[in-house]
Amino acid sequence: MTRDWWKHLILILGAIVIIAPFYMMVSFSFKSPGEIDRGEGGFFGHQEMMVDEHCVKLRDPNRDEVTAARPQFPGQTDNDIRATLVAQAEADCAMRPAIYNYTKAFTAAPLLRYLLNGILVTASIFVIQVVVAVPAAYALSKLKFWGREAVFALVLFCLLIPVHAIALPLYMMLAKLGLTNTYAALVVPWTISVFGIFLMRQFFMTVPDDLIDAARMDGMSELAIVWRVMLPTAIPALLAFAIFSVVAHWNDYFWPRIVVTGNRNLFTPPLGLREFKGGADGSMYGPMMASATVIVTPLIVAFLLAQKRFIEGITLSGMK
Amino acid sequence: MSIAETHTPPTKPAPSAAVQERRTAWALSAPALVLMMVILLVPVAIAVALSFTDYSLGNSGFNWVGFDNYVKLFTRSTYAKMFTATFTYVLTVVPISVGLGLGAALLINSLSRFGEVYKTIYFLPVMATLIAMAIVWEFMLHPTIGTINRTLELGCGTVIESFWPWLADGCANGMPLWLGDRQYAIWVVCFVGIWQSFGFNMVLYLAGLTSVHRELYHAAEMDGAKSGWDRFRLVTWPALGPTTVFVVTITCIRAFQVFDTIEAFYPLGAGPGKSAYVMMFAIFEKGVQQNLIGVGSAITVLFLIFVMFLTLIQRWLVERKVHYG
Repeated sequence: MTRDWWKHLILILGAIVIIAPFYMMVSFSFKSPGEIDRGEGGFFGHQEMMVDEHCVKLRDPNRDEVTAARPQFPGQTDNDIRATLVAQAEADCAMRPAIYNYTKAFTAAPLLRYLLNGILVTASIFVIQVVVAVPAAYALSKLKFWGREAVFALVLFCLLIPVHAIALPLYMMLAKLGLTNTYAALVVPWTISVFGIFLMRQFFMTVPDDLIDAARMDGMSELAIVWRVMLPTAIPALLAFAIFSVVAHWNDYFWPRIVVTGNRNLFTPPLGLREFKGGADGSMYGPMMASATVIVTPLIVAFLLAQKRFIEGITLSGMK
Repeated sequence: MSIAETHTPPTKPAPSAAVQERRTAWALSAPALVLMMVILLVPVAIAVALSFTDYSLGNSGFNWVGFDNYVKLFTRSTYAKMFTATFTYVLTVVPISVGLGLGAALLINSLSRFGEVYKTIYFLPVMATLIAMAIVWEFMLHPTIGTINRTLELGCGTVIESFWPWLADGCANGMPLWLGDRQYAIWVVCFVGIWQSFGFNMVLYLAGLTSVHRELYHAAEMDGAKSGWDRFRLVTWPALGPTTVFVVTITCIRAFQVFDTIEAFYPLGAGPGKSAYVMMFAIFEKGVQQNLIGVGSAITVLFLIFVMFLTLIQRWLVERKVHYG
């Protein structure tokens, strides 16, 4: 331990740089605009009551409301009544900065909708990828047929093509079909995972043929063999692939940015964040950081809970 | 048509097992094959074809313009900036990110305790949504209220100023604008790229290190490799060869694809003086935003050539290893 002190020193310095933005993000999501501006308040901020100006403005009493309130305040002038009403509004609109930031994150933009879109798109992509890739992987690993080598060569060739790189022709094809600004546009380019086919094939190769012969003897159809015999043997590979796929598509910004223009109902979380940024004047930093925290947290928490699996899943993607 | 005929189905011989297996195989791989064609191969072909045209979405026709688009890429100053920015980014991020990944892996591997903690921390940026973290970095790099300049200003008026002229200059003439400063912009983008990616490389190297046999170190020691450096040079580094080939390739391909940070920092352009005008951003700007499909496709084709070239080198290196190994 004492001999290792310099290693720890280097690693701790590195860790500080790595953690700094996460620390700032969470910290800003708790602070009031003033504290962010002046750079004070430590990690949590002082959490002094602050008034939501926007909320007060919405409740600014007009003449009718003042008239209506007259019976409640007998003997006062309209101006006094008005002042009382404004004070009331301010009292009602006061809240702790942390609560303000997170409430704003969900109300200033439909963040919940974005999150649901993110879940829907990520889940659809993964399910379709599996439905397409697993039968193909089974055919390529366990069935003998003329042309198998050619199909596998094609798979290896397609591994060379990053989907992001061919975004422009894909975008044009979708535009020609009138599919931009639809859920389909967000999902379709990712339905084929050549890497998924490759990964599952490598895994299926290790499954003994006897298992399949036995299943055939029992009269199982080939499709039943794929889903009820092969897939259960490949759960570790499937899990790794799931992590790889979900992380990539939850975080993906480039593709949604290209095919979704303007229709906020289709925004995925990264797109929503960008829009937040576009409309942010200084006072919105707190809510923006709150949104960022909400979007980043699910994967980070999942990662912390199942580190081994995540690291395996992500690195497996590498071990082609 | 007689009744008898309709009731007796034509007697076909039952297909042999081999034929049946072939049919099943094609049926099972058909969806994947069709999608591979439509989503991967056809677009590549379209990009190649359109890179020789002046096509725009919405136009009914187009003209073949030969190599005009490619000539533009290699003669106009905008694209010169694009190549400069892209290669500056790739050639900075790849060596540093791989080096730091290896360094962190070696340090962590040699620790008896707390290694897992560092591993977890260093891997966090790989999981985090990059665009969100880019926005946080942008805020931290804010010239006046950002954390970085605030921290640097703490050093003003202390002894640190006397032996760090750069800081003294910043204290006297104002701290750098970072993202808004042409001199720093691309390097800051590189820094965020390294910050995000080296944990991934570290994890791959850690996996590689577990496969280095202990006996090899003993053997090397017998042969007189006494210092840590000798052990690294003679045993660890060669054993990590395959990992390094892979890590370098994947980092390169990812670095070529940098987009999120650039778009987050510079939504309207590509940084001061286009100093961060990388290829993916150019494809997006020319092809999608300005509807110049021809030029956009030409950049796409160049991009694909770079990436395929890199992967082929990697495969060649790996296969050579396998044959010699």
